[in-house]
Formats: sequence, C-alpha cells, structure tokens
Amino acid sequence: MDRKSSMGSKSPGQIVKKRSKGVSQWSIAWRRFKKNKAALGGLFIIGVVVFMAAFDSLIAPFPPNDISGFYKGEARVPPSWDHLFGTDNLGRDVFSQVVYGAKAALYVGFGAAAIVMSIAILVGLVSGYYGGRIDNVLMRTTEIFLVMPFLLILLVFLRVIIVLAPSGVGGLSMVTLMIGAFSWSANARIIRGEVLRVKEYEYIEAERSLGASGRRILFRHLLPNVLHIIIVLTTLQIATAILVEAAVSFLGFGDPNTITWGQQLQNAQEAVKEAWWEGIFPGLFITLLVLGFSLLGNGLRDALDPRLRE
Amino acid sequence: MSKELLKIENLKTYFDTWAGVVKAVDGISLEVEEGETLGLVGESGSGKTVTALSVLRIVPRPGKIVDGRILYRGENLLEKKENEMQKIRGKEIAYIFQDPATSLNPVFSIASQLIEVIRRHQNVGKQEAIEKAIELLRLVEIPDPKIRIRDYPHQLSGGMKQRMAVARALSCQPSLLLADEPTTNLDVTIQAQILGLMKNLKKKLGMSMVLITHDMGIVADMADRITVLYAGRVCESASTITIFYSPMHPYTEALLTAVPHLAIKREKLAVIPGTIPNLIEPPSGCRFHPRCKYARATCSEIVPPLEEIEPEHYVACLRAKEIAIRSPLES
Repeated sequence: MDRKSSMGSKSPGQIVKKRSKGVSQWSIAWRRFKKNKAALGGLFIIGVVVFMAAFDSLIAPFPPNDISGFYKGEARVPPSWDHLFGTDNLGRDVFSQVVYGAKAALYVGFGAAAIVMSIAILVGLVSGYYGGRIDNVLMRTTEIFLVMPFLLILLVFLRVIIVLAPSGVGGLSMVTLMIGAFSWSANARIIRGEVLRVKEYEYIEAERSLGASGRRILFRHLLPNVLHIIIVLTTLQIATAILVEAAVSFLGFGDPNTITWGQQLQNAQEAVKEAWWEGIFPGLFITLLVLGFSLLGNGLRDALDPRLRE
Repeated sequence: MSKELLKIENLKTYFDTWAGVVKAVDGISLEVEEGETLGLVGESGSGKTVTALSVLRIVPRPGKIVDGRILYRGENLLEKKENEMQKIRGKEIAYIFQDPATSLNPVFSIASQLIEVIRRHQNVGKQEAIEKAIELLRLVEIPDPKIRIRDYPHQLSGGMKQRMAVARALSCQPSLLLADEPTTNLDVTIQAQILGLMKNLKKKLGMSMVLITHDMGIVADMADRITVLYAGRVCESASTITIFYSPMHPYTEALLTAVPHLAIKREKLAVIPGTIPNLIEPPSGCRFHPRCKYARATCSEIVPPLEEIEPEHYVACLRAKEIAIRSPLES
C-alpha cells in the first residue's frame, strides 16, 4: 500500500480508513486476474453463453423443436436472414436450437463439475490429511476409477440404465450424474497431492498445538489453502464435462428428448456434405464454450498460484 | 516458587521408519518448576523438539510415544483422551514454532486467527474476542494494533510475524510456554527484541517456559536452569551458572568450547569432532563415547545413569567425578 504518498494530502483519519482493510490473497489474485486479457476473454464467452441460456426464449426466433418449417418445404435450407444458421432435416431453425442448447451445456457442465468436485474434494482431503490405511484404501479405489476406459464405461452404463429404468429416467440429469460419478479420480489425486504439500506447513502443526480438532484443521485450515487448486480444477472440469456430453450425445447415447449441441451434431452427421451448417454451428459453440472455460481456468491458475507471484 | 509444573519421566518417543526404528527420544527425564525458564540445549537431532512435541502429544507420524510419563500439575498427559488434550493445547500449554513465516495461516487475517483461538478456549462473544485480540497485540508491542490486526501474514515482516505468533500462543494465558527455537530464523537485532519481549511477558504473566535452542548465548541470557540433551538422552542438568562455570559432562564442555568468545582469540571456531550418531543403531553404553576425549573402554559398555553428583546438579557420565572438567569460559 502506498502509505507515504497518501500521507501528505489526506487527513490522518482517511489514511487509517484506507489502511484498515487487510489485503487478502484473494484480492491480490483478483488484481492479477484483471490484467489477464485471455482470461477476461474466456469470461466474456462464458457470459455470452450464460446470457443465451438465461433469455433463450427471447433470443431464439423460433420455439424449440418447431418443425413447422418442414411443411413449408424449408428443410435443410442454408443460412439466410430468416434462418441465421440455416435449418436441419426437420426444418428446425439451427440458430434457435443452438440457443436452447446453451442451457443444457451449462447444466451438464456445472452439474457434473459439482458432483466431480464434491467427491474429489472429500476423497482428496481425507486421504491426504489422515494418510496411512485410509489413504491406501481411498487411493486404490481412485486408481480403479482411473484405469477404467472412461467413455466406454459411461456408454455402457447409460445404455443399461435407459433399458432398465422406467421411462422418464435417463434424461440429461442421468447423463450428468454418470459423467460426475466416473470422472472424479484424477482430480481427487491432484487435491490429495496438494494437501500432502500444505499439511507439512507449520501453521497446520501450530493449529494442532493450539487445540484444534482434526476436522476443524481439515475444513477450516487445509481446505482454504488448497482452494486455489480446487477453483482451477472446477473450471477445467466444467469444460471437460461439456465435451463429454457432446461426445455421448454425438454417439447417440444421450438424451434424445433434450436439445443439446451434441444432439445437433449427431443429427447433422448424415448430411455433412449437403448441409454443413447443421453441424458447424453447434460444433462452433461447443468449441467456444470449452475454450472459454479453459481460458478462464488458465487465468485463474496464473492468478492464484502463489509460486507464480511476480 | 519451586513448585513442580511439568515433570517428564523416562520419556521414549520412537519413529518407526522404513529404515528402522529411530529412537529420537530415548529415556529423557526433566522438570520445569513454576515460574521458571528451562533451557533445553543440544545439537540438531538430539531430541529437543520431539520432547516438546511429545508434551502436547502432537508428534508427527510415524512418531509414537512408547514409554514414560509426562506429569503436568501431577496429571499424566499420556493417559488423557484426545479431546481432553485439545483443551490443554493452547490453553494450558502453548507452543511457539521455529519459523514465523510459516506458522501463521496465509489465507486468514491476524484477527481471525487470534479470535479463533480465543473463542475456542474462552467463553466469550465475538466483540469481546476482538478486544482481547487487540489487547494481545498491545502486549506484544505491535504499533497500531487496531489497524495491524486486519493484516494478513504476508503483509508483516519476520519479526512482526513472530510477535503475532507469540500473541497467539499467549492468547489464553497458558501456564507453560514451549518455545522451539523462537528466534532462529530472525536476524540478530530482531532476535534480541523478541527474546526481551518473551522475558518480560513471562514475568508479567507468571508463566513457565521451556526454551529450546542450540544457541548457548540465548540460554545464558534467558534460562534459570539448563538441561543438555545428546542423542535422545539427558547428559547434564543444572542451574545456568553451574552449566556454564562448572560443567561436569564432557559433552557440555565440548558445547561450551564451540561457542565463540570475545575474550578468547582463536584462529578457527572449535568444533566437536565426529557427527551426531545414527539414532536407529545408537552407540552402545554412553552415546557420546565415540566423540568423547575422556572415553574409556567401560564407556562403551555401561549406560551411565543420570546421577545427582552435587545438589541440584545431575550428570550422566561414568567418569564425572574423576575427570574434573574446567569450564572453557574460565580459561
């Protein structure tokens, strides 16, 4: 803080006011983040998609799954002023579908990331802090999840659930849940590694010497010190989950009743040559959104990593 | 005075590592009286820190207290349950760590770290805790405590951080303060300030203190009594004056010889030959015998008991009476 420079012009009371707020690591990180143009770009892309999702019915010129165009002979028409991104085989407006798909993309991204991170944080913290036998059991379990062919298992599970479950189950939420349940292992290991590093610091020992209980140390003192890793991992996990959902839907294992960008891609594959606009635009939005979260994640990492401090 | 606050009897703390069992503390006994400062002196790896951590039962894995008794106000701490220990840690017995830079949690402000400890052990409201915290900063002589309390550790200098750490350790008026090399990572002028501060506070609050250090100069200034450790055992224990002016253990003599002395002009600093022994397979008999210039054959066979050779002067050396050591400070 520039204490000296403000000393001359302002009254002592004002100086005290200015100084009376401590500078936390979060405010330092925010200051650094603001300077990162790429990260701000990522935030902007995410903002646009969130805006699309929030006001989808206002932005989209046609209602979802509106096939009235089909009867007017407007199936697979190229982009025009009436249909900004063209129409698909059933005469649906691709732009409107893309707008409605934003909600699904964010739902899967945030939903799956929430599930993944809840499991990963719990496993990582407990495993890293308690060590010994608990660590052994949790990490071997993690490794089982790590060596499974993730996408294959996901597809099998989704197919089995849709066959077995009563109708209505197996929608987008089930896809989200499955992605979450099967992709936490790598993050759990990273968090555990960070806990192993942080728990050796004297302030953890100092807390113990001051009578803090194990659970209190874990959640009040260790967790905030690994939060920077957790934030970055969450951001990147959102991007990954969106990609995985697109892949699952593209392969025809997604929820056929929800408009997602992946579903649009699947729909488009039969006519890639004739109607390029059917696939290009949803694909572009998947790429953009994933890029947005990746840029944000990288920016956050640069801002939060104490070792990169200039 | 002269009431026993802490008494450690035959403490053994071992570390079960892949290479073997490290006997870091192997039968240490010592006492701290009320209002007294005990200097715990020895080379790195002599068991000073492990002894102190054992008192609070926070020895890091894979360390384990395997034997002995730690009596605090007559109660054996080793028989207490973990939740009973949590009430003693920080309230009755506090610990100051070596490195002030890392002993404060970087993500919380000083205020929240102090308030947390105060409210854990004292039944006070938040506002009252804040006032107590500010009072503590005043106690450790931090200027502008009301402003400084909102700072985060990275905004403070090394000396300030250690003052904060002292404040946090003292927040619940403990009866016993375990200070583990509290000034090792500070430069000399700051070191003097912190030591002076601790000395004053000890008097003001009527605490007892165990001061762990390898700096003979610091104990000379601070301690009432000194216990010298070597390789997990006690060599000698006596008043500070006795240790400095009429030591009886060859290791104490060697330690004192290694201290640079203004009055004695030497080309090189004296060193103790050899290195501290491997604590997985320590030397037989007296653990110091391979480095001891007075050693005889029997020294490698018989473990010397800690005997009261003069009143209040305990020595663990088979030849203590024969060798007649002169203090290196008097030559």
